[in-house]
Amino acid sequence: MYMFKYICKRIGLMVVTFTIIFVTCFVLVKLLPVDYSVGFGEDTAKIEAQLRARGYDKPIMEQLVLYLKRIVLDGDFGIGFRMPEYRGRAVWDVFIEKLPPTILINIYSSLIAIPIGIALGIFAALKKNKWQDHFISTAVMVVISVPSFVYASLLLFIVCFKMDALPLNIASFADIIKMYPEKNLVYTPGTFNWALYFNKEMFLSMLPAVFSMCFGSIAGYARFTRAELTEVLTSEFMLLARTKGLTKSQATVRHALRNSMVPIFPSIVGEFVSVLSGSLVIEKIFSIPGVGGLYLASINAKDYDFFMMLSAFYLLVGLLAGLVIDLSYGVIDPRIRMGAK
Amino acid sequence: MNSKFSLKRSLAMLLAVLMMLSLAACNTTPSGTETTDTTDTTDTTGSETTGGEVTAEPTYTYNTYTALSPSNWNELTYQDNNDTQIMSYIGSSFFSYDFKFDENGEILPGEFVMKYDAATKLEDVSAQYVGTKWNVPEGATGYAYKITLREDLKWDDGTPIKAEDFVYTMQQQLDPLVQNYRADSFYAGATVIVNAQNYVYQGQNTYVDNSQTGLYTVADLVKGEDGVYTQPDGKAIYFALTEPLSWCSGNTVTAYSAYLDAEAFASLQALANEDGRVAVTDDTIALVTKLIDTDDWGHEPPENVPYYMVYNYEYPAVDFADVGIFVGDTEYELVLVLSKSLPLLKEDGSLSYQAAYNMASLPLVHKEKFEACKIEPTEGVTLWTSNYNSSVETTASWGPYKLESFQAGKQYVLVKNENWYGYNVEENAGLYQTDRIVCDTITEWNAAWLKFLAGEIDGIGIDVTVADDYKGSERAYFTPDDFVASLQLQSDVEQLKARETDGINKSILSYVDFRKALSLAINRNDFATKTTTSSMEGFGLFNSMHYYDVENGAAYRNSDEAKKVLCDIYNVDYTQYETLDAAVDAITGYDLEAARALVTKAYDEALAAGDIKETDKVFLTFGSGAINETVQRRIDYIANAWKELVVGTPLEGRLEVETKDFGDAWANDFRAGAYDVCMGGWTGAAWDPGYFLLAYLSPSYMYSKAWNTAEQTMTFTMAGVGEDGADVTETMTLLEWYDCLNGASGAKYDWSATALPQSLRLQLIAALEKEVLQVYYTVPLYNNFSASLLSYKVDYITYEYNTFMSYGGMKYMTYNFDDAAWAAEVAKYDGELNYK
Repeated sequence: MYMFKYICKRIGLMVVTFTIIFVTCFVLVKLLPVDYSVGFGEDTAKIEAQLRARGYDKPIMEQLVLYLKRIVLDGDFGIGFRMPEYRGRAVWDVFIEKLPPTILINIYSSLIAIPIGIALGIFAALKKNKWQDHFISTAVMVVISVPSFVYASLLLFIVCFKMDALPLNIASFADIIKMYPEKNLVYTPGTFNWALYFNKEMFLSMLPAVFSMCFGSIAGYARFTRAELTEVLTSEFMLLARTKGLTKSQATVRHALRNSMVPIFPSIVGEFVSVLSGSLVIEKIFSIPGVGGLYLASINAKDYDFFMMLSAFYLLVGLLAGLVIDLSYGVIDPRIRMGAK
Repeated sequence: MNSKFSLKRSLAMLLAVLMMLSLAACNTTPSGTETTDTTDTTDTTGSETTGGEVTAEPTYTYNTYTALSPSNWNELTYQDNNDTQIMSYIGSSFFSYDFKFDENGEILPGEFVMKYDAATKLEDVSAQYVGTKWNVPEGATGYAYKITLREDLKWDDGTPIKAEDFVYTMQQQLDPLVQNYRADSFYAGATVIVNAQNYVYQGQNTYVDNSQTGLYTVADLVKGEDGVYTQPDGKAIYFALTEPLSWCSGNTVTAYSAYLDAEAFASLQALANEDGRVAVTDDTIALVTKLIDTDDWGHEPPENVPYYMVYNYEYPAVDFADVGIFVGDTEYELVLVLSKSLPLLKEDGSLSYQAAYNMASLPLVHKEKFEACKIEPTEGVTLWTSNYNSSVETTASWGPYKLESFQAGKQYVLVKNENWYGYNVEENAGLYQTDRIVCDTITEWNAAWLKFLAGEIDGIGIDVTVADDYKGSERAYFTPDDFVASLQLQSDVEQLKARETDGINKSILSYVDFRKALSLAINRNDFATKTTTSSMEGFGLFNSMHYYDVENGAAYRNSDEAKKVLCDIYNVDYTQYETLDAAVDAITGYDLEAARALVTKAYDEALAAGDIKETDKVFLTFGSGAINETVQRRIDYIANAWKELVVGTPLEGRLEVETKDFGDAWANDFRAGAYDVCMGGWTGAAWDPGYFLLAYLSPSYMYSKAWNTAEQTMTFTMAGVGEDGADVTETMTLLEWYDCLNGASGAKYDWSATALPQSLRLQLIAALEKEVLQVYYTVPLYNNFSASLLSYKVDYITYEYNTFMSYGGMKYMTYNFDDAAWAAEVAKYDGELNYK
């Protein structure tokens, strides 16, 4: 019951926090002046008339009410206005279309990075202060110090260009449709057709980006796991576990690993959340039509509808993730009870 | 126990499902190919069966890339070159340029011919509309045209195109509920359709500049019981402090407050409402009278007071039948009536160059699709929008290619439009060899470069980082454009002073000798070589791409008048040279010794005037819209040149340059005086240098906005423009000279292109260019050239740039390899081609 109450309380706080930040974002961005440049022979009066017709001259709070009504009643998040690539496009459609490649690349990256990283961490912890540990720790330090775009550039040049082992950039839907005529694949803008993503060509073309992203994650997980596990392995309860007759591997897997996962698992959840904002540099290098940089670009361009929709989305995801992470402690370690007194 | 197993199971399931979803599909063999090379564009569907054998038709695909994906290619709303990349393939022209060939079929360099394309005839029918509601002046030409369309024009879906479609489209273009971005193309530029502006503006309630219309004097106004004057119909009229006024050359009264009576200005400001407007009363009339009666403002008389007013006005409704575009006598005749003469035909009745320049086509939309794409405004918004031409489904083509696929931010593909009339035109036989155009969005140049070397794209610009290795390639070609990159130096003294802090000086930039020194300190040739791929040093506001007489191929920069301007500005005495060309060739724009003397002179003057202290450092902020490697390289070069400049002068070791990113607002911030130096320039109006001067003389466009061209006078003798060819000597402000040059309404003389031969106008263009250059707010650095590499797969018809035809485009492009042969050729070199 206390857990239920705790969740209700957290959700209530989430709603309040969301509302305050959302309204603040709306008001602040609308307070910025709308600047526009005028080229030769362009009619300034017409540009201003268009801004008025968009309702930009109305009081900010009135604009906020109209904006919220539009979202709630029509599910309409607005239309891109300033960013050249998305001018005149429904912001929700653009976002939904750009989200899948970003998520997929990051999930593939995590699927590779998590088991390898944790395995390396466990191995290093078990071989603490031996040459294997030193080797892994040194490699981890080297790998973690190099930013992912360096791996991306190296992979692009060596693996994709010189070795011709993988495509230079991600496949387009037109390529996929052409390669599988028998599947009658159709691409409809603003919708998600999973068959266009889950096929060999698309998977292979994503691999350079996936590898570029996972090196750093592998090193991160290895270092974190090693540190946590090393600490747990030296705990007194491990000695107790051994003295009650468990083998080293039994004690490690059943007790040490389980305890060390308490801080590791939330970091995995946290990484999945950050996945949604994408990686601007990696996406640029491999020409991935993802969401990386979209938020930043919308701020720079003062594209209100994009900015507000993305603000709301990331805010909501961030708040939910915080809740999920907190609740996950209890799942991993039953001794932890959220909200219990 | 249960939770332990469920956790494990969940994780295992998640892993398994995701991996299987991806990898299971890997077992499927894609039809027709084993390769994983996603850019292999060999079209396996284009094959035919002959007696049981499959013979593949050769296909020709042009693979290219763009850094920014287009968003909409709607002719009514497109905003930039990014959008036009698809538009240029899916539309057609009434009239077009073409290469001029000699009797051997060789291209005549620099020349062109005019051709009819989608139109078969153009007639000047101005005489038919004299004395009608269209108000065409008696005896005038170029006011009304009848365009006869081909009868075989069709959309890609086979729907016929007739004159009424162009009329429908124009109605949509000018629709006041939509406020289309391109609506002003038909009333604010060279093409002014009768009543187009009134149609767009109808229903708008706005404030009109009284100085522009000259509608009211104070005597015309009605005084209310509260002492506030109104228009005779009771609508409001105000003094405007913060709105641009024609009387202030497009600037606001506030912008000129330093020249006006300070006390009166403060009083008016106190009375202004939130829009910066002040009610007209006897008191405020007295205040404005006092405001403009100053030495700096030339003691304007009280009768000029109404020029500072704006009045409320609602544009009346306009019937589209009163807009100057309609169907002629047959359904293929389109009649256009203009408010301003536009010479589309030469005296002999043939097409002038302006036919393809100003009237290449009129906008055209597919009526049925367009209506389906309209989006109603939501609550609180009155603007209608449209998603026409923003996806495959919403796109219609009447050009040589049609859109086959479009994935935003990734790729678009165009294929031949079999319904295009041009493929049935005899003279196009053998042209348009390209079957398919594939354009990938690749943001990073390095990624695109690798694709080019791998044979996956067929053309690329050469980046400065590889320029040394590839500029000499046999596949390299160099394209000039009309952009002159210039340093812009801050002209707002008040702002310079306001940003000074203890020990930091900026106002020395207000000394013309100092600015000239900054100009002379830059070795333009070296700058262009080291910081650009292939650009050339630039000295004037115009370069070789600016034509003053297009019909005769006469470039402004090649005229004697223009050459003398450069010699005067860069202190080259052309009388000492055998020819003017030799004198121009001697110009380097770089003279460190003279520059140092100028620094010393400016410093001494500033010191004497108390504008700088002996311990002050000169600290210049160099702003940009983005600080990337290329921009930083250029700024570093200039900063080092200026540090070298002050060596041996009193400012040695006392000049610093900082770099700052001002983002998208960089230009407006500079104009507002927020920083000291930027690099900018203008492109456009390359065939009208007289009009192009707008960029350097009108406060609406000038970077050096605080330089008052409405006050700065020039005394000049216009040779041979008076009656019987007499000379005319006048002293006028630069803006007044500009207005005369362009025949603006209210100008003292009409020396526009329609009133004077270009050869006579040239002298005034040169005089105004010199005026701009000699104040050194704009310091030209280089004339832009772009260097590119073309793949071995394709060839242009010529590699000598033609202003009218470029390199011939897709129309004349030929292929050395079809797609299959190219793939084999690339494989021969292990996927790495050598273009050195």
